[in-house]
Amino acid sequence: MRAVHRVQSVGMGEATTWRDGALTVSAEEAQALVSAPCLADVRVSWASPGDSVRIVKVLDVVEPRTKGPGGAGVFPGWIDGAPADGPTHVLRTAAVVVAGYLPRAQEAVIDMSGPAAELSPFGGTHNLVIEFTPGPGADWADVDDALRRGSLALAARLAEAALDAPPDSEESLADPGPVDGLPRIGAVTNLQTQGLFKDVFVRGESFNGRAPALIDPAEIDDGAVVSGQYGHPSLRNPTWVHQNHPVANALRARHGRDLAFAGVVLAPEPVSASEKARISAEAARLCADAGFDAVILTKEGGGNADADVALKMDALEDMGIAAIGLFAEMAGPDGTGPPIVVAPERATAMISTGNYDTRLDLPEMERALGGEELALLGVPATSAMQLPTAVILASLSPLGWGRLTCAQDG
Amino acid sequence: MARIVHYLNQFFIGAGGEDAAASPPASQPGPVGPGRRLAQLLGDEHEIVATVSCGDDDAAGRPEAIAEIVALVQEAQPDLVVAGPAFTSGRYGLACARVAAAAKAAGLDAVAAMHPDNPGIDEAGAAPVVASGEAARLMGPALDTLSAAVKKILAGEALTDADGLVGLAPRLPRMADRSAAERAVDLALARLAGDREATEVPLPRFDKVTPAPPVEDLARATVAIVTEGALVPDDNPGALESARATKWLRYSLAGRDELKPGEWRSVHGGFSTVWANADPHRILPLDAARQLERDGAIGHLHEEYLVTAGNGTSVANARRFGVEWAADLRHSGARAAILTAT
Repeated sequence: MRAVHRVQSVGMGEATTWRDGALTVSAEEAQALVSAPCLADVRVSWASPGDSVRIVKVLDVVEPRTKGPGGAGVFPGWIDGAPADGPTHVLRTAAVVVAGYLPRAQEAVIDMSGPAAELSPFGGTHNLVIEFTPGPGADWADVDDALRRGSLALAARLAEAALDAPPDSEESLADPGPVDGLPRIGAVTNLQTQGLFKDVFVRGESFNGRAPALIDPAEIDDGAVVSGQYGHPSLRNPTWVHQNHPVANALRARHGRDLAFAGVVLAPEPVSASEKARISAEAARLCADAGFDAVILTKEGGGNADADVALKMDALEDMGIAAIGLFAEMAGPDGTGPPIVVAPERATAMISTGNYDTRLDLPEMERALGGEELALLGVPATSAMQLPTAVILASLSPLGWGRLTCAQDG
Repeated sequence: MARIVHYLNQFFIGAGGEDAAASPPASQPGPVGPGRRLAQLLGDEHEIVATVSCGDDDAAGRPEAIAEIVALVQEAQPDLVVAGPAFTSGRYGLACARVAAAAKAAGLDAVAAMHPDNPGIDEAGAAPVVASGEAARLMGPALDTLSAAVKKILAGEALTDADGLVGLAPRLPRMADRSAAERAVDLALARLAGDREATEVPLPRFDKVTPAPPVEDLARATVAIVTEGALVPDDNPGALESARATKWLRYSLAGRDELKPGEWRSVHGGFSTVWANADPHRILPLDAARQLERDGAIGHLHEEYLVTAGNGTSVANARRFGVEWAADLRHSGARAAILTAT
């Protein structure tokens, strides 16, 4: 069960409070939650939908959620909250955004207004943006870890403000399970687990080198999957997207009606071709053992991650299980190139989540957060610029959030 | 009567094969080689007033070549430029496509002909390309298609698939009514109901590359190292992109026996560059190449290396880099290249 509190307005104030849709944050408390020995300075500010703001160098985004005080029952392995039952309180349309330079992070952009705003989940959320300055000589891995712990703790703290308030709505979530006479459809969620700054964590531990595994989707809702993956901006799944797992939610919405939601399998995305093949075979067997009739597969990452979807699709089809893969196209700026880097050989059912190379003309902004420059172009972050969709955070929706697609007839 | 300029490479004007591939742009009056048959097919209503030519290496490998070719074309004051047929020849196809694209951009009508797998297809811009067969033995039917296309364009009509028009129809972005996840559920149910055709993405066709024949005398050959590992001088003076590269760069290896850490850096965004930067030879094995040179296993190491970043690079750009690298290396005398990939 989710208790959903809809955020109508945001601001800074003396204390962190929730009143009738208004979220007020104590900057001092927020900074204290994120501060760490490896961080010289932490700053927080709000960016809301419609604002003339561009957020650059975005790392991760987290939705405020908690089950109780002190982060009880959420983000297991990251904050010291006790295990807890009961509803998860969600601040819908709010997000904690971490933005700033980390090595290996590919520069991600969120525009709060203009044509890119509707392409990212975070053009439509009230974003509490955390900026930071590393301490002298700080280890980048420590900086990354501190930012992750801090942003998760802050997200839980924001949700805690609404614990005693009546929710705007309550959402009952279907658990996976069989329904007589209905096809069982499950999800395989590939996580890009390729080392430091390109890793995804499950229950607080790196999923790099782990075997494919079934997971209770309610655990994912409560923050069991946390992203530390800062590769291709449009092709990442920030923590917020896992918390709102679009495929699981789409299956839940129709559970008992025309399908049975059969469950979620998490799979790592290793680097080598042979490991990709091995993990794909294991994941397919797990789906077969779990009795899936059809599987919706998603990826994150660039061209090499197409193989992680394509190999699993073929392995599933070989077992007689229908496989549907979500792919972003890399078809060149004019859309005439081959759309997929590694396509399945036997499976054929694919969803297009848009073209990586489509150019966007973005307007000048009044304010920039996350950095003063867009390093990719070497221009002020506030300036009008043309960027490929590839740079807009989560815009190509590897986990299925967005509506962007491509078609021959336009 | 319409005035037409025909673009051909060094081979089809009879100047020679690879030995003449470096020849610069040139113009001569009237039709030449396959242009004579094309002129017959076009009949008395249209006239090939000039033939402009260029060597394949020069046209595909020297940045100014296309502008020089188009300047020669414009001297003949044509109504239309026809380029090729280039069949499956990569450098020639690229040149034909670029000439047609530049002519179109300059306000002339233009059409090129080549095999649908020719990498030039991606470079034709707003100019139409019609299909030819794979090789010059299919010149006859290629010229039939091309002449019919020329007549149709000069009559003010647009070409269609029926005219042999090739090139992929662009896939354009749009917003669907529902999310990708919701559409995936629909597709799963359709698939379970027996619809095996439903998909939003047609399966792409991939090229099959035929390897070049072995180098005959490696001990006398100049061998190049090229890489997509994005290894550049530490300050990245050419501003090579870490992803979605739109360009490639060249850096000198002359007088160098090793690549010192700290002086070179991989800017590749697709892997951890820690180990590459600790020893740049992991990306560009100059140390091993110099050893092979000293041992006499290869004649010479090429004096410069060519580099791009292979990370999210569009297939069109990657193909273009490949053709340009081939032309550039041939131009400078290299006869083999080792491509280090990451």
